[in-house]
Amino acid sequence: MSSDGQQPTTTMTFELLKTAIKDGGARLGRLTFSGRRTVDTPNFFGLTSRGVIPHVTPDNVEKHLHTNGTYMALEDFIERPQQYMTRSPPIYETPSPVNKPLNSFTAMPSSIITVLGSRRLPAVCSPMGNTNQGISVFTSTGFQAVTTKEYINAVQTLNPDIAIPLADLTHKTNTPTSKRALRMAERTDDWIKEWFTEMYTKKDSKIATFAPVLPISYSMQWEYLERLSEEHASNPAVLSGLAVYDADLIPDISSSSSSSNKYKNLDPLPRLALTAPSNPHQVLRQLSLGMDIFLLPFLSTASDAGIALSFTFPPPPPPPNNPTSTSTSESAAAPESDLPLPLLPLGIDMSSPSHSVSLLPLTTNSCTCYACTTHHRAFVQHLLCAREMLGWTLLQIHNHAVVASFFAAIREALADGTFEEKARLFALRYEPEIPSGLGERPRARGYHFKSEGPNEVKKNKPAWSKFEGEGEGGEQGKEEKKEKTVEEKVDELRIQDEQSGTTSALASGVDSVAETPLVPDENADAKDLEEKGFAETVEEKK
Amino acid sequence: MPVATQASLKGITPEQLESTGCRLCLNNTYHLGLKPGQEVLDAVGGAHKLQGWKHNLLTDSGGFQMVSLLKLAKVTEEGVRFLSPHDGSPMLLTPEHSMSLQNSIGSDIMMQLDDVLVTTHPDKARMREAMERSVRWLDRCIKAHKHPDRQNLFCIIQGGLDLEMRRECCREMVARDTPGIAIGGLSGGEAKDDFCKVVATCTELLPELKPRYVMGIGYPEDLVVSTALGADMFDCVWPTRTARFGNAITKHGVLNMKKEQYAKDFGPIEDGCGCPCCRPVDQEGAIGVTRAFVHHNSAKETVAAHLLTIHNVWYQLHLMGGARDAIIADKFPAFVKEFFSNLYPDRKSYPSWAVNALKTVGIDLFES
Repeated sequence: MSSDGQQPTTTMTFELLKTAIKDGGARLGRLTFSGRRTVDTPNFFGLTSRGVIPHVTPDNVEKHLHTNGTYMALEDFIERPQQYMTRSPPIYETPSPVNKPLNSFTAMPSSIITVLGSRRLPAVCSPMGNTNQGISVFTSTGFQAVTTKEYINAVQTLNPDIAIPLADLTHKTNTPTSKRALRMAERTDDWIKEWFTEMYTKKDSKIATFAPVLPISYSMQWEYLERLSEEHASNPAVLSGLAVYDADLIPDISSSSSSSNKYKNLDPLPRLALTAPSNPHQVLRQLSLGMDIFLLPFLSTASDAGIALSFTFPPPPPPPNNPTSTSTSESAAAPESDLPLPLLPLGIDMSSPSHSVSLLPLTTNSCTCYACTTHHRAFVQHLLCAREMLGWTLLQIHNHAVVASFFAAIREALADGTFEEKARLFALRYEPEIPSGLGERPRARGYHFKSEGPNEVKKNKPAWSKFEGEGEGGEQGKEEKKEKTVEEKVDELRIQDEQSGTTSALASGVDSVAETPLVPDENADAKDLEEKGFAETVEEKK
Repeated sequence: MPVATQASLKGITPEQLESTGCRLCLNNTYHLGLKPGQEVLDAVGGAHKLQGWKHNLLTDSGGFQMVSLLKLAKVTEEGVRFLSPHDGSPMLLTPEHSMSLQNSIGSDIMMQLDDVLVTTHPDKARMREAMERSVRWLDRCIKAHKHPDRQNLFCIIQGGLDLEMRRECCREMVARDTPGIAIGGLSGGEAKDDFCKVVATCTELLPELKPRYVMGIGYPEDLVVSTALGADMFDCVWPTRTARFGNAITKHGVLNMKKEQYAKDFGPIEDGCGCPCCRPVDQEGAIGVTRAFVHHNSAKETVAAHLLTIHNVWYQLHLMGGARDAIIADKFPAFVKEFFSNLYPDRKSYPSWAVNALKTVGIDLFES
């Protein structure tokens, strides 16, 4: 695009290197911003929460996280604390020598591309709903309205590399009624008109606009899509890409698939997925529909659950001795069949005690991430078990690396024409879902979710409870219970002691609660105690 | 020394810890003994290997946690008797166990099991008993120590606030000729004046060429005053714990980043600080963190805590580095004076315990 004129209005370029499969299929491309890392597509961008990739400090993002871009949500920055309702969000006042306040505020390395959208991904559904003037967002201090005007101002102030204009979305899982769907398209159409005027007619913004493609049927939004196409035809600078909320719409808007050539000029635009795929199978499917850049909430979900992702593209070859060692008749009947092979898991649960002494890297498929090269499973298992925050940090670094090499391998396959076959093998070889993981999750915060009804299970374990889990009433009951427990335990000790025949130290320790004998008893010999664990249980003494 | 209780300095990678200049950090024997446990430590090959830490480790004996964490612990001559926090079964920690466990951990400096009492304990006889028992336990520890060639066992001086008892303990402990000597039982709520007297009394009697380690000491003032009184090493969880509460340690005092006044403060956490968070953005390894960003994520995203942890650990290590430089340059009194004048803009608010303690070693804070 920039090659068209003398003065490019946007600094972004996107070139399509190869469209691998006919029928609007997967494509190979390259996205470049001046002064930013080049992004070979298909690829993924990191997903932030309040401006940070969860658990990963900005220095580690730069050093260890293989991501060239991050998605940030405006709703993460504009809360109004109750005592300071009138203050303007601090982020708008960020001084930035390079005029990238969003990067400066979040300490995100300037080499990383920033995408600004209005809502987190996935977003919490707002009970207030949207209006003609704007949308309702969920900040850490509650729901609040953001008008189109406010949003445009925010985008112009924060100056991200890529901005996604407001879209009228419900953020519900069920499909909207046709009436609602029509209104979604109409409102989004109105808002995009205003957006183009404010951003590119009145001002000469350098921000790349990725216009939303709504998660409603094509027939409901064709007028809106037509506007995008026309506006782009008249001035390519106003539209640099598409933010696609439903991958199944791509065939409708790509010229090669349908009979119409209506949207031909939208074809060369990069497509950013806001579809929140929940596993790599969905990524592959959307990718073969023609998606270019992904945002993947399953990365943090897996890390929080203690899962180290372990898939590779293409899947590892089946073990060579497998067919011969098992039934020969089967291998003779179907020598080429990969059906009898057990499915491989997409991830490994690192919290499992089976890893407690394992010095292996997190996954055995030659991952070169910081976590795999400097640490081992035993450490991560220990960290998860001890609820140390570093465990999730290492998993985030690893999981981002796994997905980065997944995309790198996909690009290679697209380049040499083996993508379709490898994608087929991947679907056959791996389990359908990422395991859910048994590890305890980090604490969930109010802005991560919103309860949607009664009888919902609490996200966090209570930080404290009554002593021994019971005892009624207030302090009094609690104290009594505690005292009783001590006595009970002491009794137990005494009984065990009598049984074992050793008296002395233990008995006297019990009799005088605070005092113990000065000189060791002659019979007491700590040497003959079993040297196991931190200290042996008294029962073992028998 | 920063404290990595469970083989991880809360939230930051060993690589980041290294970047703060840390070369010796602390693990807790009690916690490692419960998780991951001795079998795992043996199988993995020690705590260095477990956590990927290339530098030195110090482990405590587990005795302090027995007393601080477990109300139900009882000390007998055999060892510390307590109920397992996991299943409530009765357990016994002996000096032999502590040594065996620390040998499995493979720490570079290990501590003897001692009988810890709060210094404010009213019972003199019990205090004496604890002190004498600690000496006896040291003998058992030395006997049980399997790797005196590669692990250094430090003794711990007890005796509460009774200076005579402390002196006696010093003589006993020094006679046993351990590679280093710790002063224990402090930082348990005693008056600062008493604390200083104990440190001064002990350091007076300790040999010159052995490191002196005051256990559980962490506020910057305590570090500086104890250094002036002749101590060499310190440890405390406070810098990292307070970071998780949103507090930044600076030379002008502790700042709570959660306060509204920092919401729009786009300066570094501390002006002129050289830590990865604060150093100017054009420098190598700079992160470019502002107070506003820390405020934005304090108590909301753990990354804010990680950044403050890096800053606070750097601050403490840098403070001690400054003290070392000043001692070498023979300008230590000036260093102490500058430290206090930064911390307290008004001389009148200098804490009297610090003023008095420093006077005993010839540093007059009010002299200009």
